[in-house]
Amino acid sequence: MRCEECSDKLDRFVDRELTNTEALEVQLHLEGCPDCMEHYDFQEHLKRVVKRSCDCDVAPTAFREKLRQILS
Amino acid sequence: MAEPAAQTAFAEEALTHLDTLYRGALRLTHDPDAAQDLVQEAYLRALRYQHSYQQGTNMKAWLFAIMRNLFWDRFKGSRKEDVSLDDVGEFVLYDKLRDEGARPEADVLDKIAASEVVSAVDKLPPLHREVVLLVDVEGFSYKDAAQTLAVPIGTVMSRLHRARQQLQKSLFDYAVESGIVRPDGMNEGPPRNHGEASDFVGPRQVPQQ
Repeated sequence: MRCEECSDKLDRFVDRELTNTEALEVQLHLEGCPDCMEHYDFQEHLKRVVKRSCDCDVAPTAFREKLRQILS
Repeated sequence: MAEPAAQTAFAEEALTHLDTLYRGALRLTHDPDAAQDLVQEAYLRALRYQHSYQQGTNMKAWLFAIMRNLFWDRFKGSRKEDVSLDDVGEFVLYDKLRDEGARPEADVLDKIAASEVVSAVDKLPPLHREVVLLVDVEGFSYKDAAQTLAVPIGTVMSRLHRARQQLQKSLFDYAVESGIVRPDGMNEGPPRNHGEASDFVGPRQVPQQ
């Protein structure tokens, strides 16, 4: 696999959307290519930082109870 | 109308997805009160149309679809904003850091406050923001995101890619403004000792997929 092809597939690799065969090909390329590995690290890290940052909002307890009463 | 017991069971299952809906509504409306109104309306509509929910399918995606459709109908008008993100280039932040030899690039992300990351997400056009919410925050598959948003999978992929580029640009701008990196992309802070083990705790091993 060439670096360009690896780059094209990186979003789907990070999102676990490749087929097993495709994922294995990307994985093998990453293990032998430090540049692409760093690129992968960054994309994976960005995804985790976005999730961690946006994940902390939860519905207020009073709102949850209000909804439960409305829906029952 | 469903039997009371069935309706209660449906409501209870639906409420297990409340945090996901509330987070999504908050990011879409930018306002806690508007978010609660939107979520409440979505749940009432879901209850009304519960017969159209197919047991065993993805209830979270179904509820989110109801909520985002309401958002576009009630809050933004029925015509969806056809906002396209400018092509900001590939991997803006990553490339800027890398070109200047700032390693490891991912360290910079850890120095950016969560509130700034949320702010960068909030600045995305809504059609791109909702894809990031579904895939990156809530862990939807491309297929589920496509069904929720009623678009082809290819659209999910292209919006996600553009959104991530834009996020990197926003985060790079913030990192420069706040002095985390210099405008030329170099990391601020003490020079790294490249002969010692990195304190970077991100993944070096590629996970088995």
